[in-house]
Amino acid sequence: MKSLALENLSKTYFDPYRGTQHTAIKDVSLKVDEGDFVAVVGPSGCGKSTILNMIAGFVPTSGGRIMVGGREVRGPGPDRGVVFQSFALFPWKTVAENVTFGPKMRGASKEERAKIAEEYLALAGLSHAADRYPNELSGGMQQRVGVVRALANNPDVLLMDEPFASVDAQTRMTLQEELTKIWEERRPTVIFITHDVSEAVFLANKVVVLSKGHVLEEVDIPLKRPRVWDDLVEDEAFKTLSNHVLQLVRRA
Amino acid sequence: MTAIYTIWGYYARWTARWPAMAAFVPFVPLIAAWGFIAWLEIFPPVFLPGPVEVVERAWTLLYKGILTDYLADSLSRLAVGAAVGMCIAIPLGVLIGLSRRAHDFAWPILLFFQAIGDIAWLPILLVWFGFGLTTMTFVIVYTVLFPVVLNTVLGIRSVKPELRRAAQSLGASKPRILLEVTLPGALPNIITGLRNGLGYGWRALIAAEIIVGTSGIGFLMFDARRAGSVEEIVVGMIVLGILWYIVDSWFLAPIERATGQRWGLVTS
Repeated sequence: MKSLALENLSKTYFDPYRGTQHTAIKDVSLKVDEGDFVAVVGPSGCGKSTILNMIAGFVPTSGGRIMVGGREVRGPGPDRGVVFQSFALFPWKTVAENVTFGPKMRGASKEERAKIAEEYLALAGLSHAADRYPNELSGGMQQRVGVVRALANNPDVLLMDEPFASVDAQTRMTLQEELTKIWEERRPTVIFITHDVSEAVFLANKVVVLSKGHVLEEVDIPLKRPRVWDDLVEDEAFKTLSNHVLQLVRRA
Repeated sequence: MTAIYTIWGYYARWTARWPAMAAFVPFVPLIAAWGFIAWLEIFPPVFLPGPVEVVERAWTLLYKGILTDYLADSLSRLAVGAAVGMCIAIPLGVLIGLSRRAHDFAWPILLFFQAIGDIAWLPILLVWFGFGLTTMTFVIVYTVLFPVVLNTVLGIRSVKPELRRAAQSLGASKPRILLEVTLPGALPNIITGLRNGLGYGWRALIAAEIIVGTSGIGFLMFDARRAGSVEEIVVGMIVLGILWYIVDSWFLAPIERATGQRWGLVTS
């Protein structure tokens, strides 16, 4: 795992209907330390997904630099693992084949891949579903596969784009707790995009509030770990922090 | 009432064991109606033979080996034509689906030639290649080509962009993405194209055999007209229907069940 730094990042789109330039991101600088967990929140249209797509290399930047472990990145690459809101699992591959897709691409042997599948499916609690196809799984199970598929490829940073936005509320809380547990054990560098304020506060060490393409405020979350919802729902510090971030987002 | 349910239960269990029979049952009233009208002799029997006469004729043709020979001829022509058509159409469809430039270049040409139906090529093909296998193969390849190309393009373009992105950020190279993501994603559409293409190709082949042929089911039917044997014409028609049913339900449908339906890309 490595650190991630955005230096004066900007993105402008050409609007073909109005014939003008539209600024989506202006001058965003942000540092995610090695092994840190940073959440980015903001109202829809604030540019948070654009930032993630630029870090992932799916869309080009208009200015500034993206550094992973001190090296500038251009275009998509296996050093940045991505977890998608729509899961983006390969429907024609089994769960095990999805999880070992990254290792297969870098030329891992069959035995090596079997070991990786075993380890990461156990991590996701999905050992029983190794040979199933994604469409045979529930949304929550599909996204567990999505998370471990990214992790199994040993990325330097993990990029998560509203990964739990399309599962039901109960499953979402379970997935959040599982993700925290994995993070506490393995300490990957994570940047997590969400519009859900309590999700951001629950998961992250630092919450970045984005507004109209720039950083409004960075809020440190010094809540103790391990974090579970049963402890935090009644926790005063959690409530105060959530309220503070919520006020910022509503003003944004 | 309970008697009906009991009979229905027997029927359901029986057809579950013999699915081919379940496909035959809907034809029973149709054949009965045909037999009844033929028996009434509203039309002279020379014009409308009954089912019994047709089955007898089919048996004779089978016995003499003519039907099997002609059937083998027609099927091998279709197989060769379809194979050649696929070998051209799938790579072409992939290229057009992937490349904007190839699309802009090839699309007008495709639309232009699609409008010239397969049969419309026969006059010039006869001048070029004469009454032979080349002409018939050309017609089938031509017919199979368009549905497969158009559906392949559609399939390639309907692969969700996130899947390509996911593969990219897992370290897949461009050729690997084509192999592991784009092609499997397009497969259900390619199969649909193949299904349509073979269906059109089968019809085009019969038409070509009627005009060009020296053998085959189409030739059998047209030759029977010359000999004034309506039974033989009807035998030909029935064989066409049965054969397509077999190709579709024994080959194409199982492929579809094992791929697109299994993956949840198409609903059954």
